[in-house]
Amino acid sequence: MSSTTNASATAKRTYPKRRKPFRPNGWTIAGWAFLILLLIFTIVPMAWMISTSLKTQFASIQQPPDWIPDNPNLKQYRTLLNPNNELGAQFLRYFRNSLWVSTMTTILGLVVAVPAAYAFSRFTFPGKDALFFSVLVRNMFPVVVFLIPLFILMKNLGLIDSQWSLILTYLTFGLPLSIWLLKGFYDNIPPELERAARIDGATRFQAFRLIVMPLSAPGIIATAIYSFIQGWNEYVYARTFLNSEEKMTMPIGLQKFFTENSSNWPGLMAASFIMSVPVVVLFLMLQRYFVQALTEGAVKH
Amino acid sequence: MQLTAESPPNEPRRKRGLLANIAHHWADYVYILPAILVMVLVIGYPIVYTVWLSFHDTPIRTGDHIFNGVDNYREILSSPKFWKTTKNTFVWTIGSTGGAFILGFAAALVLHKQFIGRGVVRAILLIPYVISAVAAAYVWKWMLHSDYGLISGVLKDWGIIDQNLVLLDSKDRVLPTVIVVNIWKEFSFVMIMMIAGLQTVPEQLLRAARVDGAGVWQQFTHVTVPYLKNVILITTLLLFVANLNSFTLVYLMTGGGPANASQLWITDIYNIAFRSLGYGLASAYSVILFLVMLAAGWYYVRILTQGSKRGAS
Repeated sequence: MSSTTNASATAKRTYPKRRKPFRPNGWTIAGWAFLILLLIFTIVPMAWMISTSLKTQFASIQQPPDWIPDNPNLKQYRTLLNPNNELGAQFLRYFRNSLWVSTMTTILGLVVAVPAAYAFSRFTFPGKDALFFSVLVRNMFPVVVFLIPLFILMKNLGLIDSQWSLILTYLTFGLPLSIWLLKGFYDNIPPELERAARIDGATRFQAFRLIVMPLSAPGIIATAIYSFIQGWNEYVYARTFLNSEEKMTMPIGLQKFFTENSSNWPGLMAASFIMSVPVVVLFLMLQRYFVQALTEGAVKH
Repeated sequence: MQLTAESPPNEPRRKRGLLANIAHHWADYVYILPAILVMVLVIGYPIVYTVWLSFHDTPIRTGDHIFNGVDNYREILSSPKFWKTTKNTFVWTIGSTGGAFILGFAAALVLHKQFIGRGVVRAILLIPYVISAVAAAYVWKWMLHSDYGLISGVLKDWGIIDQNLVLLDSKDRVLPTVIVVNIWKEFSFVMIMMIAGLQTVPEQLLRAARVDGAGVWQQFTHVTVPYLKNVILITTLLLFVANLNSFTLVYLMTGGGPANASQLWITDIYNIAFRSLGYGLASAYSVILFLVMLAAGWYYVRILTQGSKRGAS
């Protein structure tokens, strides 16, 4: 696969103007075939989700299955997004709840992570390495291990059935990655810039706010979209901490929808689709940052 | 000692006692204090509490905690169900990690090459990783439906099978099936990591190997893979841990069934804790899982810190 790239690179070096004629070798063809199969594997479930969501309940259980619905209609979407019927009102409430929880998680997570990452990047203080190590180790902890004690903790704090229990949990679980990620960005901002500002009479905080913060904006965006998506998709804790209908987030709402209307596959698929739209749009818009969030740290060095 | 808290960065270190040193740096701790506080509350406390609880019997009726030594551990380790679940967890974790890694790495190798539409392809392949496991679980459950599912329907239509394909309700097929779904969900994580890794492989190294007569495959095994050793290790480790912890997909698609054929440690712990309300037992179970993670975690942090040391020098 890579041989053609390399071959053309060599060709470019020797004869800059001439391009090698396109002659795919076995590796290239195998690569393309593989890619096409992989794309099919990836797309079919998503296409089927959309296709089913446009069908009537009756049409959805026809065999053999129809790829393109005969009479596509938006009935399911209209029901789900209509605040005036019961199902729609419920669904929109889940949506709003998810939005609230994910947004608060993201904002508060940054408020906590940014100064910590900055300190880990810039200062030397006793216990720094041990603390940073403990931040990293969290990445390895099984989420469910925390479920029982956190449930009891939240009960004692009176936060069961409050969305704050989720916000607190998500933001903490997101911290290690956020700190790690942001520290990487701060490490790349030369301290001389701050020193210059300090010489000009800025306090340490001013230097941080006026010099470092703007320069680390990409890191902050990357961290933010990562924690938003995590908060939006989380299921186990939301299921365990929330009891009442009006507090639930989308993943739990979807599950409720499934148990209550288990034969309404078009409705369930429409709900899944609506639930996926915000994160997919966010991801597509800010793809570069998301990819950075995933790969930073592991690959950089 | 007259010391200002606001010492400029990179001030040369002076020798002080530990307490004086900490006092000197009090302003530095202010920055990390919020992070430390929430982590102690949400992570530190639960760990201690889980370990403590794992040595106690927690009858539901009274809500007491009665110390019972290692009875919880004995009960778990001596139950035949635990060993079956362990086997499932092993198959699930290794299968998912291996499958996603091979698929993701292969995709990265193809996508490493420039071509028109590469960005679009990469974005499409990443969507399963971004969407919620809940949505993914339901779509696949629907596609794999024994009576009305897409997969059964299409295969029947093409004449490949004559009877409906039973996957999620079959004891033998359920685990491989959920593994495939899991690979669908997470292979692009590997892909993204490996694309980033491949960009760091110096072209001169590959060229040198070519000059020495190495073919595409030899360049791959002798140059690319050794060069990416750290990235490969970290990626597989992260994936390994994620799979060991993965709950939503299996829980929503199969609930651990049929007849525990897809029961994993995680789903088992959840059921013990929140269905049978056996907090003590579930805590002991969690501690066992936790120890397995810790071994992996120790290794992970070692690779990670080695990497940053090398990067700094």
